[in-house]
Amino acid sequence: MHSLWDCCLRRLAQELPAQQFTTWIRPLAPEVHASEPGALVLVAPNRFVLELVRERFASLIKRIATEARGQEIELRLVLARAPQAPARPPAPVSTGSGAGPAPNLERARLNPAFTFDSFVTGKANQLARAAAVQVAENPGISYNPLFIYGGVGLGKTHLVQAIGNALAAQRPQARIRYSHAEQYVTDVVRAYQQKSFDEFKRYYHSLDLLLIDDIQFFSNKDRTQEEFFYAFNALVEAHKQIVITCDTYPKEIAGMQERLISRFGWGLTVAIEAPELEMRVAIVLKKAEAEGVALHEDIAFFVAKHVRSNVRELEGALKKVFAFARFTGRELSLDLAREALRDILNVANRQITVEGIQKTVADYFKIKPADMHSKRRTRNIARPRQVAMALAKDLTQMSLPEIGEAFGNRDHTTVLHACRTVATLRKKDLTLNRDYHVLEQTLKG
Amino acid sequence: MRQLALGISPPPDPSFDNFVPGANGELLARLRELVDGRLAENIFYLWGEPGSGRSHLLAAAARAATRALVAADDVEALDDAQQRVLFNCINEARESGSAVLAAGSAPPAQLPLREDLRSRLAWGLVYQVKPLSDAERALYLRAEAARRGMRLADEVVWYLLTHVRRDLPSLGAILDELDRLSLERQRHITLPLVREALKAFAP
Repeated sequence: MHSLWDCCLRRLAQELPAQQFTTWIRPLAPEVHASEPGALVLVAPNRFVLELVRERFASLIKRIATEARGQEIELRLVLARAPQAPARPPAPVSTGSGAGPAPNLERARLNPAFTFDSFVTGKANQLARAAAVQVAENPGISYNPLFIYGGVGLGKTHLVQAIGNALAAQRPQARIRYSHAEQYVTDVVRAYQQKSFDEFKRYYHSLDLLLIDDIQFFSNKDRTQEEFFYAFNALVEAHKQIVITCDTYPKEIAGMQERLISRFGWGLTVAIEAPELEMRVAIVLKKAEAEGVALHEDIAFFVAKHVRSNVRELEGALKKVFAFARFTGRELSLDLAREALRDILNVANRQITVEGIQKTVADYFKIKPADMHSKRRTRNIARPRQVAMALAKDLTQMSLPEIGEAFGNRDHTTVLHACRTVATLRKKDLTLNRDYHVLEQTLKG
Repeated sequence: MRQLALGISPPPDPSFDNFVPGANGELLARLRELVDGRLAENIFYLWGEPGSGRSHLLAAAARAATRALVAADDVEALDDAQQRVLFNCINEARESGSAVLAAGSAPPAQLPLREDLRSRLAWGLVYQVKPLSDAERALYLRAEAARRGMRLADEVVWYLLTHVRRDLPSLGAILDELDRLSLERQRHITLPLVREALKAFAP
């Protein structure tokens, strides 16, 4: 089989541009243990390469291998077992052998990807992380409850689930439950409808670790708050751990009973802040690593610098870059990242209106915005006006009569004339062409 | 006597095949992967100006889906209760691996929605549905006219592109009116007929 792949490599090197060959084909390795004669099994180093090769090169490789062997070859692409990936939590053991950890994790509704190892730490969250680790190591003893608050998408869910996963790994028999507050509310409503409060109570009061995410959703839900109050008391009395997340400081939660708010303060209250640039870069690099991609720091820096708000949006931006690279078959680069993120970044001026165009053009040529509507025809005013009209045609979906109207009730033929004049001038007049280009880029953001 | 036209040519169901891709090739390829489960990502948000084809793509995706898919259009207009539903759908999709496809008028950062929902929409893949160029709009006009059994001269296409709003629903609406008028008058599509049809759209 080995020689078949060598053979294919030589042909592929001839057929593909050198850059594509080194980026996508070189990293593939033939599976040495494959013994079927009619199959070529290739191992890709990561999912990114795997998907791209499958999409763009699979049929080519199959054809070349078939020709080389003189018989139909079945091509299979598989993912390398990842030794370079960060330590993963124990994968749920297959079910069947009694009360193993698997059904426990299932019950707990924990996402095994959320671990302390995959959580990027920085100034913004180191306190919260330290407290979470403590709680996972000594549940029910150190801080009860642990109350973590912060804005959306900063990793609160990741952190509380990491507590759950760490405890599940240490003590497979521990009874753990992660519940988003909305889910808890739904459970209370169902228990109410089915008159099964006894069962509900028995379940929640018997837990070793209860993780409630986004508790602000209990706001003004009196029955839910009452049930949670009982559960809280029962668990704390039995030295069972409770961890709560919220989008705000306990005293600030609207519509929450006073007795609950005061209990939230019994343990430790820690904040997660928005990540600073350095940490955002680390997050991007870590996410890329989890995907099996070695990302250049330039690109991580670019993404982190432009997406400031929260971790979730950083992840989305990174996915966009990978998807674009996969679609175009280009190597990851700064330019590629910039292009890929156009749909998300600099979006403040994306909604282009004719008023916006008029103002930007007037500012650019240092004339009054009112001159866009005026009847004056001196060159230093008429030309910018024509440029603005041409931009309105190129950048909006307005009809030409509508554009004319927006420029002091002019006829659509005036707009048409302006568009033609600008198009002709741009070919001859380099300065005007540059002006137009700059304005276009400014407006597009 | 006036011949009345019978409205008997229903528009075809929106599909990926009858969407004019223009600069949206990547978006379209990803969307096809999403609906039959070949995409690793399962949260998908697309945004664009009114008339850019968002709803067409959503309807096409819902029709083509071979997996569990929740589609939500015009998310900027969701009220509190609807936002809660979409929020739960996204959380649910994260857990169970089903898919959520949402569309709106603006990129996630500018949506007037709950912060936790807004950031969840930005979490998945985000694409802008980019408007067509005038050349692509001309292609669209010819194809849509052909579907209605009409042929448009170059001057008619040009006239429409310089006199009508150039988003696709507007162009489709004027073609419908032309179709009706040409059947009713038993006349070919000429500039005078076009001008008359446009009167129906005059403000």
